[in-house]
Amino acid sequence: MKLSTRYNRVNILTSSIILIITGIIYYFFIHLILTNKLDKDLAVEEDEIRQYTRTYQKLPLPASYLDQQVSYRELPGNTNDIPEFSYTTYLNQEENDREPGRSLVTTVHLKGKNIQVTITKSRVESEDLVRVILLITLGVTLILLVSLFLINRFVLNRLWMPFYSTLKRMKSFEVTKIGEVSQDLTEIDEFIELNQSVNAMADRVKQDYRELKSFTDNASHEMMTPLAVINSKLDSLLQTESFTAQQGALLEDIYQATGRLARLHQSLLLLAKIENNLITDAQELDFKDLVESKVRQFQELFERDGLTVEVRLSNKTVIMSRYLADIVLNNLFSNAVRHNLRDGRIVIALSKTALVISNTGKNVNDTGRLFDRFSKSPESEGMGLGLAITKQVCNLYGYHINYEQMNGMHQFSIFFDPES
Amino acid sequence: MKILIVEDEHALYESIFDYFTGEGNICEHAADFNTASEKIQLYSYDCILLDLGLPGGEGLDLLSQLKKSNKKDGVLIISARHSLDDRLSGLDLGADDYLVKPFHLSELKARVTAIVRRKNFDGDNVIKFNEINVDISAMNITVNNNPVTLTKKEFDLFVYFLSNKNKVVTKNAMAEHLWGDEMDLSDDFDFLYTHVKNLKKKLGEAGAKDYVKSVYGIGYKFTEA
Repeated sequence: MKLSTRYNRVNILTSSIILIITGIIYYFFIHLILTNKLDKDLAVEEDEIRQYTRTYQKLPLPASYLDQQVSYRELPGNTNDIPEFSYTTYLNQEENDREPGRSLVTTVHLKGKNIQVTITKSRVESEDLVRVILLITLGVTLILLVSLFLINRFVLNRLWMPFYSTLKRMKSFEVTKIGEVSQDLTEIDEFIELNQSVNAMADRVKQDYRELKSFTDNASHEMMTPLAVINSKLDSLLQTESFTAQQGALLEDIYQATGRLARLHQSLLLLAKIENNLITDAQELDFKDLVESKVRQFQELFERDGLTVEVRLSNKTVIMSRYLADIVLNNLFSNAVRHNLRDGRIVIALSKTALVISNTGKNVNDTGRLFDRFSKSPESEGMGLGLAITKQVCNLYGYHINYEQMNGMHQFSIFFDPES
Repeated sequence: MKILIVEDEHALYESIFDYFTGEGNICEHAADFNTASEKIQLYSYDCILLDLGLPGGEGLDLLSQLKKSNKKDGVLIISARHSLDDRLSGLDLGADDYLVKPFHLSELKARVTAIVRRKNFDGDNVIKFNEINVDISAMNITVNNNPVTLTKKEFDLFVYFLSNKNKVVTKNAMAEHLWGDEMDLSDDFDFLYTHVKNLKKKLGEAGAKDYVKSVYGIGYKFTEA
């Protein structure tokens, strides 16, 4: 729910309730006050009638009062003298219709007789007054609600504009890009503060990113340089004099160890980079094309081991780093070759939803730690990082990688859109 | 070839120097930013081997300096930074190639030779070696004017040997050159043997002498002797 919608809802609901309650209270009070005034008028009339009766010893003529009717009735016996007010109807003779009225029933004593006097006044005017007041109140309420709604809708939206623009910028924030998150000018203190905090945070993130990047760069540099020296010295050593076969074998071992160390180091750095999302050259790639060229690249390796390769590819484009895509394919292909049997089989299938690479191979019992770092089968020559890297790359792009063993085949599947 | 090696690691520089000197190659050395900058301004080189992290400055700045003064020197970046950004910005700035440490000297030599060859390319891109003629652009080889049909890998392999004449080249380096170093190849390079054998056989049948010698089981040497 949007902030303005929520605010509007609460605001208008409370305003309506308060205004309705006010209206009701207003109505009753005005009603009460007007009734009181009528009652006072009636009491004055009663007084006048009593004085008239006392002075002239006769009852005044009923017709001599405007908008009020007086009627007399002789009462037998004693009655109490307490005047009684009540709501009645008033018969308007001029217009000849019934109107709401208020009556006072009292008793006067005239020449030893008890005469009941009923004075009735029309309430039509006061009712009209109440109605007009009520209508005005309702009108004001409506206008108020509408204007509240409009204010909320337009003014609030305008007021929150800097917030939304900051939000938009935050969404499109990329750590590798230079430039501030928010530069919008606003006079609202809260938004100025928000912008400042967002910018400070972005700066901090960028600073961290730079530090991390320079750390990986430096670590890489510092460790690769000695390795480069060892490697180049070995190359130089090789050129010097003739060696015995035994020395040659020793040299080869050193070469291999150096090569492994370099690869290990590169793999670890790569893992760190993927985890920290430092590889940012994601682009649209023709995955089918990539797989095809990778198959060509591995051709000699397939032939060496007499592997039959079955390739079924359909068109598929992905958004990922070319470098990482290459690494993933390298790892999966190397795995399929390395853990295969002599004259075995590899099936490579690419569909819209998944890349599936299956290969024949020895039975593997413990597959739970397959994607863990440095976990490898005892006879494997690898470092046990290939699948860990592959999994990290998949995580980075939201793919799902899965391993299954079925019909004597080891099957790795990468699902590009695991949600569906 | 005249080559400038911009590298602050002395041990590494020495190896490169030793490997490149000879066969009419002249190597010069700069160990820091200022020396390198000076030499680049004063002289022309066929190829500059440029390390990125230098005392006194960034190697990439040297590159932009070079390009600003409109020099045609070839540039090969050798860096320990395996960072894509650096690789891309280096190539964007006009470097001809990018090689990540650690590398094989034979690979370095092959790449430098390729750059220099491209720079000096004047119509026909042909290397002559005794009775063998190699046309790099057309990708064909003739021995005494007899054409030899080679596969792409065999051709690449032969050019690689030619770039590393009289040097022992390890099987490891050859495999990385032909298949790329990202492939995570196993340490068993026996499949290379087939390629070398086929290459030797095809050249021999066309009448070439056997120049490729196996060395201590660790690699091969392309030599006249």
